[in-house]
Amino acid sequence: MTTFLLIMHGLLAVALLGGLTHQTAALLWPARTAGGFTASYRAVQAARFTNANIAFYVLTFVLGALIYPPYRIAVRTWIERARLWHISGLFEYKEQALAIGLAMLPFFWLVWRDPKDASTLTARKWTTAILCVIVWYSFIAGHIVNNVRGLFGQ
Amino acid sequence: MIVTRVFGLFAAVFAVAYTIAFEWHWELFSYHPRSGTFGWGQQASKGGPVMHWYGAIATGLLAALAASLIALPFVRHRQLPHWLGWAVPLGCIVVWGWLLRGFFIK
Repeated sequence: MTTFLLIMHGLLAVALLGGLTHQTAALLWPARTAGGFTASYRAVQAARFTNANIAFYVLTFVLGALIYPPYRIAVRTWIERARLWHISGLFEYKEQALAIGLAMLPFFWLVWRDPKDASTLTARKWTTAILCVIVWYSFIAGHIVNNVRGLFGQ
Repeated sequence: MIVTRVFGLFAAVFAVAYTIAFEWHWELFSYHPRSGTFGWGQQASKGGPVMHWYGAIATGLLAALAASLIALPFVRHRQLPHWLGWAVPLGCIVVWGWLLRGFFIK
């Protein structure tokens, strides 16, 4: 069951990563015309990703919280025995950043409610960029921890 | 909707309360994953690891909800600054980098 939930957690994280990166790119580097690949990537209506990204974030977070106890019992104890403190630290930072990001979601929704509102533009850019960085960091850190025995196993 | 005006405050208070709860051991509850049991507040190990993360999130949510409810009457006629919703959480994320530095310099 844990393996199934871990795979679902990973798949949802991929969807979140794609959606949030799309939204961030379209907001910070908007393209007027969809010419080539990169311009097409940025020439989307960023606001349309908001609700999906919030749903993916919450679902990924809940699944992560569900599979946390098996990680704490089996994986982290192995990491500590192997004295891989930096790997443990990677995961610690991921859980703190994600929790803070979770509470930013209502504000994220608010600043995207009217994407043409100039008074929320700065907040919209920062909130979206912060969440995007949190999700990218967590994705990479999660993968390193997930593959820790293959990468660092003695 | 008047309630949306406190969303920035909610994010800010959660980030601060969560950070304080973790650092000063003010978790609402602890979880013992090996036995699958919960206990109020910060608990010591009972022959296995103890998880404080859920409890710290609960503390943060409680504080953020309380602050938001208290602020509701005050935001009826005035807007809270938008930077509350991103600058305070960002500051807390940076603080966490400092708090966890021990993992990377061992």
